[in-house]
Amino acid sequence: MRFRVGSKWCLILSVATVFAVGCAHADEETPIAPLAPMAGRVDPGLGPGTRALSSGPGYKGSPSWSPGGDRIAFTVDGYVVDKPTGSGDTVRWTTKDFIAVDTEWASEETLLILGAAPPAEAEKSAGSLDSLYRAHDGEDSLGLQRVGEEVLAIGPGRGGLIFALGSGPQESKLALARGNGEIYRPYTRHIAGRVAALSASPDDDEAVLAVRPPNDREISGLSVFDLRKGEGRQITRLEGNQEILGTPQWTQQGIYFVAGKKSTSLDSDGSEPLYYLYRVPPSGGAPESASGVGEDFVAATIRVSPDGKWLAVIGRLNPKAPTNLYVLDPLTEDFTAVTTNEDMEIKTGPDDLAWSPGGESVAIIARGTPSTEPEVRAEPADRLLRDFDNLYEIPVGGPEDAPR
Amino acid sequence: MRDTAFWLSSAALAFLLTAGAFLFLANLATAPSEKSLRPDQTPGGSGPAMDLELDGERLASLGSLPDQSLDLVIENEGAKQLTDVNVTLIVSSENTALSSSRFYRQTVEKIPAGGTASVRFEFDLVAPEQPIARVPAAREEPSREILELRATTPEGNSTVRTVILPP
Repeated sequence: MRFRVGSKWCLILSVATVFAVGCAHADEETPIAPLAPMAGRVDPGLGPGTRALSSGPGYKGSPSWSPGGDRIAFTVDGYVVDKPTGSGDTVRWTTKDFIAVDTEWASEETLLILGAAPPAEAEKSAGSLDSLYRAHDGEDSLGLQRVGEEVLAIGPGRGGLIFALGSGPQESKLALARGNGEIYRPYTRHIAGRVAALSASPDDDEAVLAVRPPNDREISGLSVFDLRKGEGRQITRLEGNQEILGTPQWTQQGIYFVAGKKSTSLDSDGSEPLYYLYRVPPSGGAPESASGVGEDFVAATIRVSPDGKWLAVIGRLNPKAPTNLYVLDPLTEDFTAVTTNEDMEIKTGPDDLAWSPGGESVAIIARGTPSTEPEVRAEPADRLLRDFDNLYEIPVGGPEDAPR
Repeated sequence: MRDTAFWLSSAALAFLLTAGAFLFLANLATAPSEKSLRPDQTPGGSGPAMDLELDGERLASLGSLPDQSLDLVIENEGAKQLTDVNVTLIVSSENTALSSSRFYRQTVEKIPAGGTASVRFEFDLVAPEQPIARVPAAREEPSREILELRATTPEGNSTVRTVILPP
């Protein structure tokens, strides 16, 4: 009997202890400490997995991944730097008074830079006399070698670089440069008009060109150029004061480009000009609105993935929506938001977007909305992120996987 | 029969006591760490902490003019007196292509434990002329001025404040 009474009380006491101790909170007011972020990972308001690739002040632009993907070059207030995508210091490639427009890696050791040195800057009148410069890693990186003059546009392709040169006030020519930056094939056939931007087809055999036709004030022509035969042809031309913005992109499902009414400043009604995403087949024809993005989508910048299957798009779902990064699958017309930005300003320059070589991520440039009051931070200026334009790596999935 | 009941009851009791002990320990582990990390402390120093205080109204009144002044209060939050605290101010532009940074430095001889010291910087905040007419970036707006204030002890402790002034 003693055993029965004792075991009963022990059981009751034990159960009461478990409920009293185990289910009670040690401290009702104790907040749960946030998880420590992974090294190098930040959440600046662009979504999980975002990684900062730069920090500190300076207007960054024109990001370009090295062919191996372990470095990224970009412009800062006009001069050119590169930085390891992991850890490491920034390396400057030009003097600070250089004005770079675009940069592209021709190989792991060679960077090709479109821009102008300061003496030439003073001579500019139409702003179209940029030159192409070559810089080699490991050499005197601030000593650039001029590869070509009056270069209008550059783009990676054919294992090196495709670039357009001015050939008189109303014509252009194309040329190819090797991975070491040396020109090996200057095309003799002229292109009517001035090439403003270019990019290669997925098979690298052709290039699509945004062209300002002769006697036209707008970049309204779209041409393709066969890099094997050295022949070009116009595939479409916009009418009604419309212009092409940025660089057209050649996907496996056709050529995409951003276009809209030419913007001088603000439209007469005070609203900003709106640009939209269009598609045209390589064979030519009238452009059609890109399917999948929605009829209200306002596009700014586009880049095709290295395999030609995806199109990264910076834009807004409608004129009042925040700017975000999206990925379009031109085949299935699946359009997915990659960032969930509400309070960051994503830069929308024509070259402010770049895919990593493997297609796993995209580099964009963004900053927080500047305050009209002084802002005080507890970090050195060169470590600040949100206060200035900085590069971020946004994961979008590998080439084998559909971007989420 | 009684032995079986005894062993079953004992096993249940042992299980419940063990479970209770684990739950109790798990609740203890959720208590927050009492160590407060200071994000503005740069590594390398192990001495007492400092805090830098700025007058927000004075910051708001700074303009792109010469002969500006700014008072900075350095608070010794440690239990020992600080001596020979170097205080620096770097005035620079958001546009890093402009080589117009200005560097100012003062030394505070001593700050008692728990006490404060005030430092006044007089500096120029004139935006330098922009020699580059063509803006390479998409944002066409004036550059902001940046004030970076840093207090450093001889032991290597450093506290920094960066002020970003609107254009």
